[in-house]
Amino acid sequence: MSDRPLDLIKGTLDVLILKTLGDGPLHGYGVSRSIRDRTLSDFKVEEGALYPALRRLEKRGYVEAEWGVTDTGREAKFYQLTSAGQAELESGVREWHRYVSAMARVLGRPAGV
Amino acid sequence: MSTGKRRAGSVFSRTSAREDVDREIRAHLALRAEELERDGWGAEEAAVEAERVFGDRSAISDECRRVTESHDRSVRRMKMWGTVKYDVRYAVRTLLRSPGFTIAAVLTLAMGIGANAAIFSVVHSVLLKPLPYSDPEALVQVRETNNRGGAMAVAWPNFVDWREESRAFQGLVAYGVGSTTVLGADRPLSVSVASVSADFWSVFRVVPIAGRLTTAEDHGVDSPPTFVVGEAFWQRELAGAPLDQIILEVSGVRAPVVGVVPAGFDFPSGAEVWGPAEPSGNTSRTSHNWRVVGRLEPGTTLAVAEQEIDALTKVIVQREPDADPDFIAVGASLISLRQRLVGSTRTPLLLLFGAAGLVLLVACTNVASTLLARGMGRARELSIRASLGADRARIVRQLLTESLVLAVLGGGAGLALALGITRALRALSPAGLPRADEIGVDPLVLGFAGVIALGSTLIFGLVPALRLTRPDANGGLRSASRGNSLDHRGAIWKVLVGTEVAVALVLLTGSGLLVRSFQQLIDEDFGFDAYDVAAVPVALSQLKYESEYDHARLYARLIEELEAEPSIRSAGVLSTLPASGSLPNYRFELDGDVSKVTVGGYVVASAGAFEALDIPLLAGRLFDERDGPEAAHVAIVSESFANQTWPGENPIGRQVTGGGMDNFWEERRFAEVVGVVGDVRIRDVAQEAYPTLYFPYSQRPFRIQFGAQVVAEAEVGRGADIAGPLREALQRVDSDIPIEVTTQQEVVDDALASRRFMMLLLGGFSLVGLLLAGVGIYGVVAYSVARRTREMGIRVALGADPGSVGRMVIHASMRLVAGGVVVGLGGAILTSRILRSFLYGVSPGDPVTMIGVTAVLVGTALLASWLPARAGTRADPMVTMRAE
Repeated sequence: MSDRPLDLIKGTLDVLILKTLGDGPLHGYGVSRSIRDRTLSDFKVEEGALYPALRRLEKRGYVEAEWGVTDTGREAKFYQLTSAGQAELESGVREWHRYVSAMARVLGRPAGV
Repeated sequence: MSTGKRRAGSVFSRTSAREDVDREIRAHLALRAEELERDGWGAEEAAVEAERVFGDRSAISDECRRVTESHDRSVRRMKMWGTVKYDVRYAVRTLLRSPGFTIAAVLTLAMGIGANAAIFSVVHSVLLKPLPYSDPEALVQVRETNNRGGAMAVAWPNFVDWREESRAFQGLVAYGVGSTTVLGADRPLSVSVASVSADFWSVFRVVPIAGRLTTAEDHGVDSPPTFVVGEAFWQRELAGAPLDQIILEVSGVRAPVVGVVPAGFDFPSGAEVWGPAEPSGNTSRTSHNWRVVGRLEPGTTLAVAEQEIDALTKVIVQREPDADPDFIAVGASLISLRQRLVGSTRTPLLLLFGAAGLVLLVACTNVASTLLARGMGRARELSIRASLGADRARIVRQLLTESLVLAVLGGGAGLALALGITRALRALSPAGLPRADEIGVDPLVLGFAGVIALGSTLIFGLVPALRLTRPDANGGLRSASRGNSLDHRGAIWKVLVGTEVAVALVLLTGSGLLVRSFQQLIDEDFGFDAYDVAAVPVALSQLKYESEYDHARLYARLIEELEAEPSIRSAGVLSTLPASGSLPNYRFELDGDVSKVTVGGYVVASAGAFEALDIPLLAGRLFDERDGPEAAHVAIVSESFANQTWPGENPIGRQVTGGGMDNFWEERRFAEVVGVVGDVRIRDVAQEAYPTLYFPYSQRPFRIQFGAQVVAEAEVGRGADIAGPLREALQRVDSDIPIEVTTQQEVVDDALASRRFMMLLLGGFSLVGLLLAGVGIYGVVAYSVARRTREMGIRVALGADPGSVGRMVIHASMRLVAGGVVVGLGGAILTSRILRSFLYGVSPGDPVTMIGVTAVLVGTALLASWLPARAGTRADPMVTMRAE
């Protein structure tokens, strides 16, 4: 595995966000930190790129947003998955797995997985 | 995170998207820096690092804003449609819950909207639509002016001079039109035939659908005559036969049909065959037999053209220096063709339009007061909605949506009604109503109905909606208080009921005056008796009967045949039927002295015509067999002619001659007056008879050789039997006579048709107005009674006479009605003046009419108040009290 950060495959950021919110409501920074932590910085994502994606998801009705206050007393906009968002997440995950296994059938499984 | 949530920003505000995005990015940067600081970064470095890893802040911010703004827009739209959908569904549910109210309101609106849409469709097709000719606004009618300031038809030589010397016109045409016999089809026909001058078709810019149209070359001295026919005539009577196979005979001219004009072309109105008016031997500038239409040069105004043609006329009449000054033109005037064709229908139509508007006003007032009354009953519902957080605008919108749903239903029903009414109007419309066949519901009428439906929604919906939601409206939104009753609830009911009553009274007065006028008119003695008299227009072939005496001989034979019929009591011929609307008038010279002159109507008749029509002989004798062509000439005068010409003297034995239409004029052959008959209304049944002279057809048949009327009176009780023998007799004497038997009564009915039309329409409108006003009063009183049943119940329970309680309610309602009556009478006196020209035998302020219609209205109002009042006082007091 090279050290060069990966470009995100188109459309996958949405699934990442939905997956992150699947664990419970979170503000934008929280989503960004969670993705950063879980992917161990494999992806080259500017933190700001998250926000247009969040708003598109809001527009499509997958998430709802509301201003609130963080545990440290700062104000932040909290996002929450809607039931439509939950469904979208599930179908996104399913599709991703199909994609991966299809690619894997051709490319073979990576060592150590 | 669920703690301390608060609402921020509003999706409805446009600036909020940017603020919201900036705020969110600031929050992100702050949280990021906070974390970096926890990891040991300095505050400043942390802020810079947070900014760096965030990326292109302004691009991200723009992108976020774009997404959010478009999101906000769709949210707004959805929200709006959501409430509209909700409001409509709620309104429909509410309306369905009270079907009685809904049906009444929809029907009420339908009547108002239907009446208006129908009348508008008439106004539109008759008055507003451009005439169906190319560039119709440039077409004008030219008329001569006489020395009394009146307009006259045109003398042929004047027309010819105008055409040659005027500069203001692209073209000028003369035409005449009349019903006559057309031979050449399967059967002899009586058809409206026009004689037109050379440029007729080019001035009207008509394109034929078959063959060609005539030009100046067809009107030359040596040109063979030709005919042009209308599409409908060609199809109906000639079976669309190839043009080269059709030869028609009209007024002594046998000629081929060379062209067919499209069905849409209808000028002169009703004409189906057009023949050449030129070449013409017409040389007198005092015989006014022609109508003239001109097409103005582009850029020339009517006023400029009029000035020119007027000045020109003053010059050309000098070319006939010894013309009679009473009969020669002193100038000329122009009137737009549209004005000429529809001008006379303008006032009655606009009047009816106004009346329909009043009906709509009553309808709207009615629905408004019902909505208001109903709304008061819904005060509880409204206050609950208000307490649940609906603001006033929201509730007003909800109430308006209800009105709108009513308006849509009422408008739809109204249009259906209008379709029916226009169909009836087309059938009912008097022959004098131009373009009546064009009446119909077209997109413009639909649009008009839509506009008035929506407009009336505002009128009848907004007032109650605002009124009901006014925070201090007698309990209004806060509580459903009792006691909104007629007597102390003041102004709004007064205005609503008063308006209905006043408007209904204005309508009733108008129609009352028309009904009384019509009654007076049909009771009037027109000077003849139409009962059981059949009439047949006859025009004999000019080719078969060469001299006018040949015509006279045929009529004599026909009369003889008819009088031999057992079912026919008497029969005769005359040049003009009573009540037919036209009567040629001429100058007559008296007592053998050419300087003693008088003016009168000119009729050629047989003795049997007077008998058949029961025109009374007042002195002397009727024509008889002594009055042959060779005998001394005789005449009969009407009573008013005698009184006007020889006041206080015996007219019998006096000498008279005249009339440009007979050839004894030139030789000054006088006729001796042998009889005096009663006056007959020939020109206009609503005007005193015109003084008239009658000459025997046997001596002066000139006038009947172009067409005459044969009349026959049935024997007592045989009225139904005479059409057959009449047809057979006509057939026997000459099978080329078209047989179209009408009755004298039909002629009279035609003369009364436009008055009848106006009376029926206005009468219909005022009955609808009265009905609606009655329903309105009923509704208001019923509402008031419903609100007061408790009080009434207690009164009755405490021993009050139920009758007295009922009287109290009626009394309160009649006080409202009285106000409306006072205003309405004032309005009626003002507006009935507009009707003056339609009245006969009554004055606009006719007290009998006023008292009569007021009585009808007050009676209706009493009934409308009494019915609900009685129902209220009959209610069981215990039941109503428990209901509270």
